Amino acid sequence: MPESWRRFLVSTLLLLTGATLIGWYYGHADWGLLIAALAALAWHIRQLLIFDRALRIGDFEAFRYGEGIWSQMFARFSFLKQRSRRHKRAYRQLLREVRESTNAMPDGGIVLTSQFEIVLCNTAAQELLNLQQRQDRGQRIDNLVRDPLFIEYLKSGIPQAGVEIPSPARSGNWLLCRVVPYGGNQQLLLVRDITERRRLATMRREFVANASHELRSPLTVISGYLDTLAEDPDVPQAWRAPVAQMRSQAARMNNIVAELLELSRLEAPIGERVDQHVDVAALLASTRKAYAGKAKGPTLTVNCESRARIVGRLAEIESIVTNLLSNAMRHTPEDGSVTLTWRSGADGAELIVADTGEGIAEDHIPRLTERFFRVDSGRSRDDGGIGLGLAIVKHALERHDAKLEIHSQQGKGSTFICRFPPSRIVIDQPMPISAGTGASR
Amino acid sequence: MQTTDLTGHISKRFNKDLDNLRNSVLAMGGLVETQLADAISSVVSGDSELGLRVAKDDYKVNKLEVSIDEECGRILATRAPAASDLRLIVAVIKTITDLERIGDESEKIGYLASKLAGMDRPTDSYIELKNLGHHVLQMVRDTMNAFARLDIEACKSIMLEDDRVDDEYDAITRQCITFMMEDPHSVQRVMNVTWAARALERIGDHAKNICEYVVYMVEGRDIRHTRHAKDKQ
Repeated sequence: MPESWRRFLVSTLLLLTGATLIGWYYGHADWGLLIAALAALAWHIRQLLIFDRALRIGDFEAFRYGEGIWSQMFARFSFLKQRSRRHKRAYRQLLREVRESTNAMPDGGIVLTSQFEIVLCNTAAQELLNLQQRQDRGQRIDNLVRDPLFIEYLKSGIPQAGVEIPSPARSGNWLLCRVVPYGGNQQLLLVRDITERRRLATMRREFVANASHELRSPLTVISGYLDTLAEDPDVPQAWRAPVAQMRSQAARMNNIVAELLELSRLEAPIGERVDQHVDVAALLASTRKAYAGKAKGPTLTVNCESRARIVGRLAEIESIVTNLLSNAMRHTPEDGSVTLTWRSGADGAELIVADTGEGIAEDHIPRLTERFFRVDSGRSRDDGGIGLGLAIVKHALERHDAKLEIHSQQGKGSTFICRFPPSRIVIDQPMPISAGTGASR
Repeated sequence: MQTTDLTGHISKRFNKDLDNLRNSVLAMGGLVETQLADAISSVVSGDSELGLRVAKDDYKVNKLEVSIDEECGRILATRAPAASDLRLIVAVIKTITDLERIGDESEKIGYLASKLAGMDRPTDSYIELKNLGHHVLQMVRDTMNAFARLDIEACKSIMLEDDRVDDEYDAITRQCITFMMEDPHSVQRVMNVTWAARALERIGDHAKNICEYVVYMVEGRDIRHTRHAKDKQ
């Protein structure tokens, strides 16, 4: 029992017994007790009222004149209040700092509830999306950013991808929006201005397309004359070899230009989709036939385990298959083997090209799909590789919402897996599908 | 205890219905805004493919109008809303009609763009159409924002903005007439430009109508044609 309690109880008890004793002395013990109790009650009521008043006006300094146990209560309460005020000030300071730092961010950040209602947003977000901090709290974000692509992205619930939309605030500007799950069931919408990036990408694309296009006509003339020269019997013997070499190099340049054009076509924004149902099984069968005629090179096995068709463009699927296959054939020794597999399951379909070639070092794998990237620049220039094949594959796959996965072990071989999502697959007659592992090695 | 829960549940569902309705109107607005923006850029950049795509995609706007209309009918029939809820529904029914018209005008502009792309381009590459278009697009955007925020002040300033759009339209028409008189060969092309400007001007009027519905929805006050009545007095 605290000291103050003991003193309070003892003094109350003393008062009551004293008064009873005095009353008893005068012959009325009950009266004495009653008067003392009433006096004590009156005193406590007075203290209580003072306490209430102090609470009401919120100033304990002016009223710290409670008595007995009350004075301690006053002091304690006042202390608590001061402490909470101090904490509040600290929190407010912290909050201001957080808000200042989020406002200093160049990217927009908006906290959303699970229903996409705006909870908080920083200054950048307000500027980029034309929001008003006060007025728009509780408003659904898709009511104010109404681009159909953005709404579709929010509803899709696939936050990784992000979506590029024209800015609602400044025409001609583009924004990249990404949703990140955050806290309990809130979400953070990140908005970044990507106008400059898009402009550069467009510029590069146009430059590559224009340059290749411009290179085409002089090249046609050069290779045309070289073709004639190579067949002309009047050309002196000494010139034969150089002409043949020039001819093959011109053909190579033609190839590069053609592939560059193909690549810039693939990179262009997707216009109206002219989707067909691409019969992969038939495509693989014809590919096998094309390679069957060749005597040299590794053995090619085609496992067609599914009759699934891809919704997309035949030319692009064809270019994926031929590029991957020709890479595999080129990088596999003659006694090796290349396996081409097509299979489908509940989570989409896979096209797998596995070889037993030399493999790729791990640190090269992320860079494989860069244009003109070569693992070994000295070697692959001679065997007909241009360095654009995988870049083309990557872009063609992106246009089919598909992903490229590369597994490789040096000395053992590589596996290229193209994963098509279920939305891109049509299956006419389902066939039993063997549950297989990712790689066929 | 149970009864309060029950009513809470019902009104919650009703609230959700109204909320969904509002969201789908705004989503439709978003689609229309995109259509309009694409239509304008197809004219300005002479992109016939984009123009034709806008014309083709108008069916999406129409489909949304029909489905929102049906939803309004369903809510009216099953919930018998009153007061501000009723005003919301009435305003929505009218708003989607105007949005659909904006979609139609955008379709028209897209179609005109595909025709204009095949003709000679003036040296200024339709800068005046571009300015008018962006002005109108901003109006439509602000209108949908005002609809989302129930912002009456914004509505009032958008309605004033419409006068400026009309002025710009007049200027373009005068300019077009001058072109046609100077060079009779260009009549066909310039006529198309006039039609596109006309469509943009109409879109401005539709945006203004939607603003009036927003005022009606919030304040229950019908402010249509009030200015003309005042002019007559």
